[in-house]
Amino acid sequence: MLKIDNLKVSVGGNEILKGLSLDVPAGEVHAIMGPNGSGKSTLSYTIAGRDDYEANSGEVLLNGDPLFEMDANERAAKGLFLSFQHPMEIPGVQTMTFIRTALNAQRKARGEEDISAADFIKLVREKAKLVGLDDQKLKRQFNVGFSGGEKKRMEMLQMAMFEPHFAIMDETDSGLDIDALKMVGDVVNALRGPERGFLVITHYQRLLDYIKPDAVHVLAGGQIVKSGGPELAIELEKSGYEQFIEAA
Amino acid sequence: MSKTNVENPTALETAFDAAFKSRSSINEAQAAAYDRFTQLRLPNRRIENWKWSDFATTLRNFEPANDVTELPVGASPFDHLKPLEFRLYDGRIELPHEDMPDGVRYGIMDAVATIPELENNALANLNVALARKSLGIEIGENVQLDRPILIRHIISGSGFSFAQTMMRISANARVQIIETYEGQSAGLYSHLFHLVVRDEAKFNRAVLQQTGPENTTHAICAAKIEGNAEFNQTSLSTGGRLCRHETHAHFWSPNSKATINSASLLSDERHADFTSETRHLAPHCQTRQLHKGVARNRGRNVFQGKFYVEREAQKTDAKMTANALLLSDTAEANHKPELEIYADDVECAHGSTVGALDKDALFYLQQRGLSEEEARALLVDAFVGEVMSEIADEKLRSVFETQVQNWLASS
Repeated sequence: MLKIDNLKVSVGGNEILKGLSLDVPAGEVHAIMGPNGSGKSTLSYTIAGRDDYEANSGEVLLNGDPLFEMDANERAAKGLFLSFQHPMEIPGVQTMTFIRTALNAQRKARGEEDISAADFIKLVREKAKLVGLDDQKLKRQFNVGFSGGEKKRMEMLQMAMFEPHFAIMDETDSGLDIDALKMVGDVVNALRGPERGFLVITHYQRLLDYIKPDAVHVLAGGQIVKSGGPELAIELEKSGYEQFIEAA
Repeated sequence: MSKTNVENPTALETAFDAAFKSRSSINEAQAAAYDRFTQLRLPNRRIENWKWSDFATTLRNFEPANDVTELPVGASPFDHLKPLEFRLYDGRIELPHEDMPDGVRYGIMDAVATIPELENNALANLNVALARKSLGIEIGENVQLDRPILIRHIISGSGFSFAQTMMRISANARVQIIETYEGQSAGLYSHLFHLVVRDEAKFNRAVLQQTGPENTTHAICAAKIEGNAEFNQTSLSTGGRLCRHETHAHFWSPNSKATINSASLLSDERHADFTSETRHLAPHCQTRQLHKGVARNRGRNVFQGKFYVEREAQKTDAKMTANALLLSDTAEANHKPELEIYADDVECAHGSTVGALDKDALFYLQQRGLSEEEARALLVDAFVGEVMSEIADEKLRSVFETQVQNWLASS
């Protein structure tokens, strides 16, 4: 599903990712854990196609399609979703209008019809309930004045709406309380299926109580330094990252 | 040669002189105004208030032609609002071809005499000296006009023309005025709008300038606002060779409110200037001012806003915000917010920012599926939308929003 091969990425002249390889097969959830500054956000931005995050070498394939040949919006239309660590506030843009515009842009790129206004309202209400955002929040400007937790709920709302093939969740758990963590788990678990994959980037094992990963990888110094099963996350929680920082 | 002749006149100044001398009659006010103009001459960048809108240089080689051709006038984007429509064809007044609604009087009047506070404004003096007639409109007491009044400025010649409008909004009346500046000509157009808003009256003005790239426009609105009255104005300009909209709002009596909002959308080498001076001369008045300028290519946005607060004008509450968005490295924004306050118990504030599109926001939108172009358009629309959203009338607001979207789609 998502295949990363020997990826090297520099940002502002500094090499952050130093030959990272990773394979997430369809139907699986992989977690990436690692200390601050290990390149976790660089990895998610590079996969999603942010300017200034260009690979020096290596490639990333989504279902066999090379992502680096596509613009960020084309990757989104291919079913790639990034839940941002720090979601943007966009003043002057109505939430409902924005989500509908985005959904239709993706559908159009895939040669599908626009969603009807009635179907959209029905869908957005249903998903808003799932992520615990009340209707009043949907009537506001996008994320404007939202708390950190509400912004993460808005990310999960969009993920639930877009039903991506592959989602990268960049520290979605940071700043969330237990109820919200459970909600994130519910959204991911509802979407899990043989045709979907997830890459869950996190500092802590806590989120993985709600989303059982198929594999856990440790990212340190711009490379995957260790991979294992869910037990690796528990081990890291106890022993910390120090051993890997030294190793990297 | 008379004493009013200037030294080394440009072709344009010679033409102004000929136009002035060819008037069939010249009254004292006009003679005095022309005399002041010849002293002041066309404003240039060395004059503080004109440093970013240099009419003298812009018009140095302007050769006025006398080629007024009345082109067929197209539809207005406001037609569906069923306005009471006036037209000023290069300043020549055409009244509506219908009966006057109750409580509205209009006609062609003698031109306005000098407006004292504009005595140092060279272009205002020139307008007084050269405008032949004035469109006069009066809204009677307690009249709540349910149709907007549309004044279409149709600029077709490549010479110069001077137009005037005088309006009186009587006590407790309500009216919505729309003004459009239209035409693709390369001419110079000057409009002087003299307005009185009487006690308890509410005056809303919406201005849309969509003239050609070579047009030069200077439009002044001088408003006297009496007690418990409201003056709300929203202007949208796509600029021209040099387009300057001046608003001079004066609060003469307490408890009145003004909103003076503007936005510019500038491409190519277009230039728009929104200059205003709000004089608070009585206590308990409130002013809100919001300007949003967007410039791409080599577009130039100018905003100059001044709040003057007289010693007697205690409890004045005035806020001004000007934000510019530059979409290219060669675009330009020049802002000058200014406060001159003599009262000690007031709340006055101003803020000004100039920036580029937020890259984080752009990437966020693209990650959600919008192309770079769509993402940019959405962000610019949202930026300017703050001004449009303040237009109270929903149908009118929608026309302005459509004009913004048309501009965005034209890139």
